[in-house]
Amino acid sequence: MTTVLPSQKEAPAGTYTFASRPRAVHSRSKYRESTAEQNDGPASYGNIMYDRRVIRGNTYALHTLPTAAQLDPAELQRQPESRRRAAARKRPKDQQRVATPEPVEGRKHTDVQTDLYLEELSDRIEESNAGCQTDAFLDRPATPLFIPAKTGKDVATQIEDGELFDFDLEVRPLLEVLVGKTMEQALLEVMEEEELASLQAQQRAFEAQRDAELVEVQRLEERERRRHEEKERRIREQREVLQKEKELAEKVAARAFAQQHLTELLPSVYTVLQQHGFFYDPTQRDVETGFLPWLMEEVSSTLERRCAARTVLDMLIKDVTTQRVEAFHQGAYLSPDSK
Amino acid sequence: MSSTRISAMPPSDMDPSKAPVAFGNRALPRLALQLQDTRLLTRQRALAVLCDLVHDPERAYEVTEAGCLGKLKALLQDKDTTVRVKTTEILHLLANHLVSRLAFLEHHVVVSLSDLLDDPVPACRRNVHRALQVVAQFPAGANCLLSLGLVQRLVVKLSKQEEEEEEEIQGLILATLSSCVRVEAKPTLATNGVPILHNLLSHPSSSIRCAAARVMVAISVSREGKDMLCEEEVLPVLVKLLCDSDPGVKANAAGTIMNTAVITKGKYQALKSGAIPPLLALVTSEDTAVCANALRALTVLAEVPSARQKLLEHVPLLETRLSHPVAIIQRAAATAIRVITWLP
Repeated sequence: MTTVLPSQKEAPAGTYTFASRPRAVHSRSKYRESTAEQNDGPASYGNIMYDRRVIRGNTYALHTLPTAAQLDPAELQRQPESRRRAAARKRPKDQQRVATPEPVEGRKHTDVQTDLYLEELSDRIEESNAGCQTDAFLDRPATPLFIPAKTGKDVATQIEDGELFDFDLEVRPLLEVLVGKTMEQALLEVMEEEELASLQAQQRAFEAQRDAELVEVQRLEERERRRHEEKERRIREQREVLQKEKELAEKVAARAFAQQHLTELLPSVYTVLQQHGFFYDPTQRDVETGFLPWLMEEVSSTLERRCAARTVLDMLIKDVTTQRVEAFHQGAYLSPDSK
Repeated sequence: MSSTRISAMPPSDMDPSKAPVAFGNRALPRLALQLQDTRLLTRQRALAVLCDLVHDPERAYEVTEAGCLGKLKALLQDKDTTVRVKTTEILHLLANHLVSRLAFLEHHVVVSLSDLLDDPVPACRRNVHRALQVVAQFPAGANCLLSLGLVQRLVVKLSKQEEEEEEEIQGLILATLSSCVRVEAKPTLATNGVPILHNLLSHPSSSIRCAAARVMVAISVSREGKDMLCEEEVLPVLVKLLCDSDPGVKANAAGTIMNTAVITKGKYQALKSGAIPPLLALVTSEDTAVCANALRALTVLAEVPSARQKLLEHVPLLETRLSHPVAIIQRAAATAIRVITWLP
């Protein structure tokens, strides 16, 4: 059911083109249905995703290697080629030979390998390379710009100078504020500095005046002090002079008095001493101090002896008389012989 | 393209390095919260914007009201250098306003600042010195610095090798010292301040010499300072500086001479170093301070009889100064002439 699309252009001669509308693939039902149903109209379309005929996945390495030992890659390359050559050789030979008869009903022919070397039949996909190449881009002119047709009414507007606002007028308050603030700040700073400078100048002037007054005061003080000291010194000197003079006068008077006193002192001293017996004749004194006491002592001792003698005599006499009395009394009682 | 509808997105970030400032009086409380944020970027941005805000005295007042000083003190110990540099800068700017200065003393900010005196980053140290210099300019601040013993540390810093400290920092230290010494001279004298300043008087940079000479003027106001200066024989160097090119240096050198020459020893030392000719040259200078100081120095030196005789010849020169428009110069010239022509 191929339909040929009406081509816009005539196909260039000698090139085969084929185009058909896309159509869905009929799906084969899993189970064989009755023959009546098989020849129905368009069979049910199946989902291509669940079609077993569609190979999924890797399509460029599908031929599975034989489970025998790994063959050399060169041999691997040669093998398909050799197989192809063998098949090509076989085909004419097959055509010459008589074909095998058809199978009997109920049987089926299968190919069986009976060669010497069994080879495993494996899924070997016959690959054939086919290339395709799109035609080089044919130069064609650029598509013209699509400018839609003009619809609607054209309206234009333009703001002329001075219509929105007058810049000079509007900027004035801003400028005033800006400049004013800057000037104010600058003035404040300058005023502060000037104030400080004037304060300092005032301070300096005051200090100068104070220094002047101070130095005057100190100078006058110093002068007064010196004068005072000078005065004191002079007074002291004067006083000392007076003192010395007084002392001198006293000394002179004392000297005169002493002299006068001394002149009459000497004779009176001598007379007094003489009166008191300080000047004596030594022999007379010796006689008086030595001889006379001795004499007196001798006299007294002599007198004492005499006295003692007299006392002894008195005692003797007393004793004798007492004896005599006693004897007398005794004799009175005894005989009157002793008479 | 701009449209008339107001966009729902927030305004674009003009400066991503600064945090956005809230409106009105929500600004500072929000910034105070951001200062304590744990993320470093937030803190840096808040500090950057606070730096700009604090120039305004009203904002400085708000800063102290919002209690940011405690948080700033805590941030001084932060490990990141940018945070520390910005915090010290903010404190330096705050010190310029009276309200925050008083708050400084209340919150003992000076102690925390002085911990950063040895910070490795030079920018941080420079800001610390700037802040200390401003604090030292008012009496309560100078007292605070003295009581914390910072004067000794500053003198030690000066005495280190000059290459370590940049010139700017040295100048700042000298300015701080001059303010402190006017209040109380003893700490500086005790830590060998005078020899160090003596060396700095011969520094190549004129600003350092000027600042060192100012400190000398301040030292020579007190009695112990005068004695120390005479001992260290600073007067010859000062006489040499009278011929310097910078007018500030000349004025301060003349000022120091005038202060030191009040005591007798100073007078004789100055006369020995030949102070009179340069001073006479300075009398004709145009700068008010130079002229006035020179006149006063001559006045003080004229108490010595020998100098008086020498100066009697130059009285006409001084009389030209009597007609000067500035009042103090007139007065100084009149006093000088009076002293020179005094007879016992």
